[in-house]
Amino acid sequence: MNKKVLIYLGIIIGTFSLFSCGGEEDKKPPKHLGGSGVNNTIDNTAINKIIESFSSPVEMAALIEDMKVPYSKKYLVPTDNADDFDTNFKKALGLGMLSSDLGYLNVYHKQNGIVEYLTAIKRISDDLDIDKYFDFQTLKRLASNNDNLDSLMFLSVHSYHQMDEHLRETERSDLSALMVTGVWIEGLFLAVKVNEYANSNTLRDRIGGQKTILYDLIKVLKAFSSKPYFNDLISKFVELQTAYEAVQIRTESSGEVQTIIEDDGTELIIDNEYTVVDMTDEQLNEIAKLIENIRNSLIKE
Amino acid sequence: MKKITIMMFVLSVFLLGAKIETKAQCKQTMVYDCATKTKAIYLRDFNAKLKRTDGSGPGGKWIVKLNKGTRYRFNLCTPSGFEGKVILTLYDSTHPEGTSKWTTKGKERASFDTIATRSGAYYVSIKFAEGQGKKKTCAVGILSFVGKN
Repeated sequence: MNKKVLIYLGIIIGTFSLFSCGGEEDKKPPKHLGGSGVNNTIDNTAINKIIESFSSPVEMAALIEDMKVPYSKKYLVPTDNADDFDTNFKKALGLGMLSSDLGYLNVYHKQNGIVEYLTAIKRISDDLDIDKYFDFQTLKRLASNNDNLDSLMFLSVHSYHQMDEHLRETERSDLSALMVTGVWIEGLFLAVKVNEYANSNTLRDRIGGQKTILYDLIKVLKAFSSKPYFNDLISKFVELQTAYEAVQIRTESSGEVQTIIEDDGTELIIDNEYTVVDMTDEQLNEIAKLIENIRNSLIKE
Repeated sequence: MKKITIMMFVLSVFLLGAKIETKAQCKQTMVYDCATKTKAIYLRDFNAKLKRTDGSGPGGKWIVKLNKGTRYRFNLCTPSGFEGKVILTLYDSTHPEGTSKWTTKGKERASFDTIATRSGAYYVSIKFAEGQGKKKTCAVGILSFVGKN
């Protein structure tokens, strides 16, 4: 092979290596953080898809704000508690809870609180080595500028999903599962606390309807039962699931699927099948008590 | 010599092409543009790379949990030249993908709203419309919160 061919071959290999940088190597977990340790009997991809399907950290807050419920800081995890998140287990759970609270602050446009929660989230993301997906400086700048609220909302939620996705891609799905657990329990805690005085059918339905979603959450957590601290968390959610067993969800249907074109041209599609949640006040109170206990135990332990 | 040079060129195009294709999702600027034009609160995105195909697939599929009583908006954005060639479908176990009416093509109407009538898992797919996959591309779906029913 002559010299020209060797040079050309070198250029191709070099160029390909360059494009390969940051590929699979980037997706391995940092050594000090360990792998996901997923239960081998459950397909890792399937578990990751279920984790990914959980609600956004802003959804419950958006519902509460849409109900015109006044803002209250007492529903949030105090940022001082972030200093007590001293294991990766607690950090990932805390990251989910604080992200949910950041969503709450975002929908109520509480700029000062937003910066405080961004700072706490940044610290945890540094510790979990996912800080490159959390653009703290841009978020902080947007929070200080009232004109960019849409951008702030987008970047906050998008950063959460990027961090969560990176954990799954780097074989740390256990931490991703804890993040979505934190978001879920904090959102439900918010619904329970608001419902204490609002006594709203919307929130009642939302709390009762979590029966099926809790089933998926426990399935995800059980996939990591061999990891430290998981069994204690699972037992708390299983107790909640037991309380949910009394809640009945039945499916009914009426007419056809409706497609409505609204005045502004929006196409609205409404299914003809719907669920009805049957839950007594006693059942709701029992579930609410357990949700509050679980949430408070996670920020105090 | 000429044959070897051509072989090297083909090899380099293949290797680079394969690598680029694995990362051929839409750019973040397109996700941002799509998300911020919905006039609703952004919840998440579905970023799909669409490979060249003679049929309608393959594309991307995701599970998404929706909550009863909430009005959601699904938006679909494609690069210029692919308007109307890609479809986003929302379906569940009782309304399988092929029979679902929760579909948008991203041309005449690039979005649809739906009020979830049950809480639980739904599925979102993004793929080429039948016979429209002559060139590979990407597409972004945006799920956003409109309000309570």
